[in-house]
Amino acid sequence: MRSIVQQLIHGLLLILGVTLISFLLMVWFGPDQTYTLIGKNATAAQIAEVRHQLGYDQPFVRRYVDYLTGLATLDLGASNSSGEQVTSILKRTLPISLALMLPGFIIGNLLGMALGLLAAFRRGTWSDRLITGLSVTGMSISFLIIIIALQVLLSTPYGLNLFPVRGWQVDSISSYLTYVTVPTLSLILVTLGYNTRFYRAIFVEESSREHIVTARAFGASPATLMWRHVLKNSLVPITTRFMFSIPLVVISGSLLIETYFGIPGIGKVSFDAITSGDQPVLKAVVGLTAVLFVLIQFVADFIYRAVDPRIA
Amino acid sequence: MDGAPSNLDPARASTIYANFLAVNLYDTLYRYKYLARPYELEPNLAESLPQISADGLTYTIRIKKGVYFVDDPAFPQGQGRAVNAQDFVYSLKRHFDAKTQSQGAWLWQKRIVGLDKWKENGSNYQQEVPGLRALDELTIQIQLTAPYPQLIHTLTQGFSAIVPREAVAFYGKELAVHPVGSGPYRLLSFNNTAAVMERNTRFRQEPFSLESEGFNPNLQSGYGLQQLEGLVPPFMDRVEVEFIAEDAARWNAFIAGELDFVKVPVSQFDQVLQSRDPPTLKPSLASDFHLQASLESGFVHTDFNMADPRIGYHPDRVENARNKALRCAIIKAFDWEKRNEIFYYGMGQVFAGIIPPVAPEYDPDQNKIAFARDLDAARLLLQNHGWSAENLPELEIGFTSSVTERLMFEQFRSFLAEMGYPQDKIHPLTFASYGDYAQAYLNREVMLMTIGWTMDYPDAENTIQLFYGPNASPGSNSANYNNEEFNRLYRASSTMQASASRTKIYREMNRILIDDCATISGISRRLILLWNRKLALLPDRSFLGGHFFRFAGQRENRQGTKN
Repeated sequence: MRSIVQQLIHGLLLILGVTLISFLLMVWFGPDQTYTLIGKNATAAQIAEVRHQLGYDQPFVRRYVDYLTGLATLDLGASNSSGEQVTSILKRTLPISLALMLPGFIIGNLLGMALGLLAAFRRGTWSDRLITGLSVTGMSISFLIIIIALQVLLSTPYGLNLFPVRGWQVDSISSYLTYVTVPTLSLILVTLGYNTRFYRAIFVEESSREHIVTARAFGASPATLMWRHVLKNSLVPITTRFMFSIPLVVISGSLLIETYFGIPGIGKVSFDAITSGDQPVLKAVVGLTAVLFVLIQFVADFIYRAVDPRIA
Repeated sequence: MDGAPSNLDPARASTIYANFLAVNLYDTLYRYKYLARPYELEPNLAESLPQISADGLTYTIRIKKGVYFVDDPAFPQGQGRAVNAQDFVYSLKRHFDAKTQSQGAWLWQKRIVGLDKWKENGSNYQQEVPGLRALDELTIQIQLTAPYPQLIHTLTQGFSAIVPREAVAFYGKELAVHPVGSGPYRLLSFNNTAAVMERNTRFRQEPFSLESEGFNPNLQSGYGLQQLEGLVPPFMDRVEVEFIAEDAARWNAFIAGELDFVKVPVSQFDQVLQSRDPPTLKPSLASDFHLQASLESGFVHTDFNMADPRIGYHPDRVENARNKALRCAIIKAFDWEKRNEIFYYGMGQVFAGIIPPVAPEYDPDQNKIAFARDLDAARLLLQNHGWSAENLPELEIGFTSSVTERLMFEQFRSFLAEMGYPQDKIHPLTFASYGDYAQAYLNREVMLMTIGWTMDYPDAENTIQLFYGPNASPGSNSANYNNEEFNRLYRASSTMQASASRTKIYREMNRILIDDCATISGISRRLILLWNRKLALLPDRSFLGGHFFRFAGQRENRQGTKN
């Protein structure tokens, strides 16, 4: 109970810290939206009028308190650019980003784990070198190049022309698969190198531990070693990587994927808000990401305890 | 489209993209004829062209009867009601209500009797504006403070589109994503990647007439437009507009057959064109697509900040003359040919001054020496006015942060280096976003700034006002140029209807500006539009804008209803 209260207090402090720092950055260094909202031939009075409408003329503390109040009551206001309620924007875009990113995220991690395990298991052999080499190559290729190459290869008459280049008109499983396949492949290709390298490092470290060496000396089979001992004992870092990637998947989406595949998710909305200085949207995204991180920390703690009894 | 609108409220339709959709979802009183070039005005919701009083101050406009807003929950029982003259009055008043955050009020500011005063008094909609009245259900009367020949042009723009007050009350700010108009289409969905519109089944029944739209059989007979004669627009049941700013993604989508109409990215010009002059399509594309290569209705120019004494006006007469010589030398060192070749595939049109080729007042016989590169003359100017590598000022050239802008800066720097300007004295002043850049130059903090201007109407007044003294920053005169003679001529011409004498004055103002070396100008970029041959269509990215959507038809399967 005490630990839960402690975590709650830590969580609240984290949210306050993140929101305060991000709000400071938005106010002091973020784009001033006034100048994109004024019309041609604006007068100084009209500029002041727009600043007032945007709330820029309010004291910093009041604006920050309004922000926290809005976050607590989920009254996130309306986008300065589109006029749409921020809650409507989030309701519309979050499920799309989730549906878009989840397959690539899960498959990318599972494949990374499998390849990492294989490389760790055959450390120093040609297969380890091949996997590591391909991982480094994959990490070196720009995401943008991968997206464009896959689009050309799979979605245009220059290639196989099997999938749509862009769009998200999803109303059934088959249409979902049609629209999600190429973005998912792009995501897997771009993350696989990083995932494989990460998991290989974990598994190599784990398989060098004394209890593994002992188990091997007792004649445990390689499969038993890897599945029962190495993988199981690596669950804490695996959980950490998985869990703390979730806010990025849910909230941030993938700007490049959404932009190049014309998918109306939260990533593009967030990016537009950053570049245009649309503070209501930005504040909501930052605030919710912080809240989500805190929630995930709670859940991750429970999982740690479940997978490793040594964690009290 | 190569960009996305963020807002569909007509009062915020400041971008080409927003305007494209606004004029399809809402009605404007006027539009331009679909096919007539040069552009000609055509009544849209208005019954006819306005009756203008002899003194040019009173416009009386009658609107068509039996035009309805689309059905929407904003109306009682969800049924759209008839559009009336009061709706126009209301829609224009909205621009003068601070809550609207209008971006179009400048078109009518200080132009309509009592409208600015109405705003000062708190924008009370119950209060009448003497110069903006509904005489009866269908008649609008506008009284101007002074003749404003461009007024009717402003009534073709999305800004002037007619919005029902019920929708504003019902949706508030969200009107921006829930448009309720009486245009040819109604919105089905809208987000940052696409807008989907369907035919407004209650749109007025006005058969398409080639003759009244200004059809030119010699130039326009290959596009299948004749088969649309007599049909009632809009011809398409559904229009999907995809917003794809990324060149590669847009081109891939077009090639894959997912788009019927595209503005070709400059980076793809060489893949598309068989020849540049005249522009022709490669045979592999010509069988499937139509091509149109037209100049943009605007231009790109780099202005000197005349309010900056390091390069612009200087209180000391001698220094002032030296600064002018420096500006003129920079202009002479600028190589338009190379700029055009490298960044616009050699297809832009360079011209001198600020009356671009698309403007009716453009002088096709203008002296090309005004924009020809002359390094010797540039060096001589510097030398004669005591400029040397040691005492030349540090130059700061502003632009938004992007690879292309940076390359343009480097090219500019190399032009000046060839004149003898030390490269280490020429600095980039980069901004993360256009908003930051605009903030800086509107606050007069940028020494040299490159700006693209898209004309609002086919009248060079719209570009000349960019250098009218009283429009200085934060107004549209970002150069802060202020020449008494220029200002006097601008005032004199501003109340004149289009005529040969007004054109003469415009050209004189253009000459004054060129002589004062206040801007490095300019180039109008060539737009290459491709569209599927299965469409009966002639698209336009210029003044007609999105109005052409209603006239887009299928070539094989005739659609629309015969009247």
